[in-house]
Amino acid sequence: MGKGQPSYTDEEFVAAIQGGDDRALAQLYRLHLPMISHLVLQNSGTEDEAKDVYQEGVMVFYEKVREGSLELSCQIKTYLYAVCRRLWLKRLAEKNRFGGRLEDHEPYLETGAEADVDQAEDRDQRFATMAEALNHLGEPCRSLLEGFYLQEKSMQQLTAEFGYTNADNAKNQKYKCLVRLKKLFFTHYKEEESF
Amino acid sequence: MKTEADYYALFDAYQSGQLPPEEQAALEHRLATEPDLAQQLVDFNELTDTLHGYGRRLTTRRKLRAMQAALDAEQAATEAVLETGHPSMPVMRISRTEQHLREFWSSHRATIAVAASVAILAVFATLLGLEMWRTAQQKPSLYGYTVLRREVERIKRNQRAMNKALTQMDEPRPNEEVNPGKFSGTGFALTTDGYLVTSYHVIQGADSVLIESRDRQRYRAEPVFSDVAHDLAILRITDPKFNGFGRLPYSFKRGLAELGERVYTLGYPREDLVFNDGSLSARSGFEGDTGFYQISIPVNPGNSGGPLLDDRGNLIGIISGRQTDVQSAAFATKSSYLMRLVDSLATAKPAQPYNLPRFNQLTGNTRPQQLRKLQDFVFVVKVYE
Repeated sequence: MGKGQPSYTDEEFVAAIQGGDDRALAQLYRLHLPMISHLVLQNSGTEDEAKDVYQEGVMVFYEKVREGSLELSCQIKTYLYAVCRRLWLKRLAEKNRFGGRLEDHEPYLETGAEADVDQAEDRDQRFATMAEALNHLGEPCRSLLEGFYLQEKSMQQLTAEFGYTNADNAKNQKYKCLVRLKKLFFTHYKEEESF
Repeated sequence: MKTEADYYALFDAYQSGQLPPEEQAALEHRLATEPDLAQQLVDFNELTDTLHGYGRRLTTRRKLRAMQAALDAEQAATEAVLETGHPSMPVMRISRTEQHLREFWSSHRATIAVAASVAILAVFATLLGLEMWRTAQQKPSLYGYTVLRREVERIKRNQRAMNKALTQMDEPRPNEEVNPGKFSGTGFALTTDGYLVTSYHVIQGADSVLIESRDRQRYRAEPVFSDVAHDLAILRITDPKFNGFGRLPYSFKRGLAELGERVYTLGYPREDLVFNDGSLSARSGFEGDTGFYQISIPVNPGNSGGPLLDDRGNLIGIISGRQTDVQSAAFATKSSYLMRLVDSLATAKPAQPYNLPRFNQLTGNTRPQQLRKLQDFVFVVKVYE
């Protein structure tokens, strides 16, 4: 490393990231980027696509670690490779440019990463629906909910920001907004699921 | 009546544990008994969970973007940041071109290997196929080298085979009108009283032999003696209606003919009598066989057994065969061998003596005059198997 950064083993990485250590995440991110970059570039992708895919892959890993539901049966490197490989295959299929075969340069193992990717995809779907629902919600509900849930501001802070007379008013407003969001969200979500 | 929003407030308080114990118990009881309310709670939880997750996702994405941005900035500062950021893999410094070549090779080597093997296979298959096709084509038309050698070896073993193999001629001339199993050659009179000479290979394997003269007279004949080595056969006419050839116009030469002598022959290569002439090209035959002359007379299948005469009307040989891979090279058995054969037969006191002609009536005559006298003494020899 040569930059005064501590070096981690796989277990230390997982432990540190689970504990919310962003430096560990940054280091992990830096460590495996060249591998994925090479994979994507070798298989008719660009530098930017490589970064996209890698970020998605790290996201899957990160969320699993934070949830504490990661069952790592191999090296992090292999896990990330499998996840990103899967993601890139999907991208290629969408672009209709997949020739049926990937040029692997790392040992590719069945790691359960595939299932994780599918799971993450479901979640992506849900988040996309949520973003859609929030967009349709209208002000001030949207800002209020985003402030509370996404930016994790306190109720006091929001009361002041939106000019409510007291925190209870703000809370009631929030619950009303939630009810509206719920309707929007579940109609969209169920619709898409039924497809 | 509570609104949904009120219930949400209730759920929120319930989940954060802020409800007084009796209200909590009441709510739990209602949740257990009212499915609608329970479903509302589930929906509420899903909604808030998704909102929280979405928030975390956005945060993480921001973090990762920032990391990537930092990396990009670093990379912009130093060219080799990608390599130095990869501790487990020592980086080999290679030129741009070599890198391209390596990438090309590693990504296409399987295809290249397949293409190369297909190309090699195709080349060999084509070569082999051509070779087989060519040999198949040549077999009927030409003498292949190996084929010729096999023939030659057979000839060494046995003179009859030589004639058959080299000359093709001698052979088998199928005569469709009478009997398809019939061969024919030429023969000529040896004595006035019914002895004839022909080539051995003409009567080889014969069941019965028929002599046919120019005026379509037919006589039955039988082989008296065969000399396989010199391709000679002596026949005798056994037909009771036969009453002699008349006086023979030619005589038999006991010595050797001169090189370059003008010679001619009469024979039945087809239904009619055919004359051909040429020179004596060599005093030895195929592969130096001293029992034969080489003559430059064009001969054809059916000429076998015909008489070979010189300008003065001396019979000097019996046509035997030709070499197919040499221009105009025919072979004739030397008459001296015929004479020796006849002498040895005569000493055995045969039932019918050999009265060879002593005088030559052809000397000094022109060629057409000679032929006119000669033609009655040359016969078709027909062979039935």
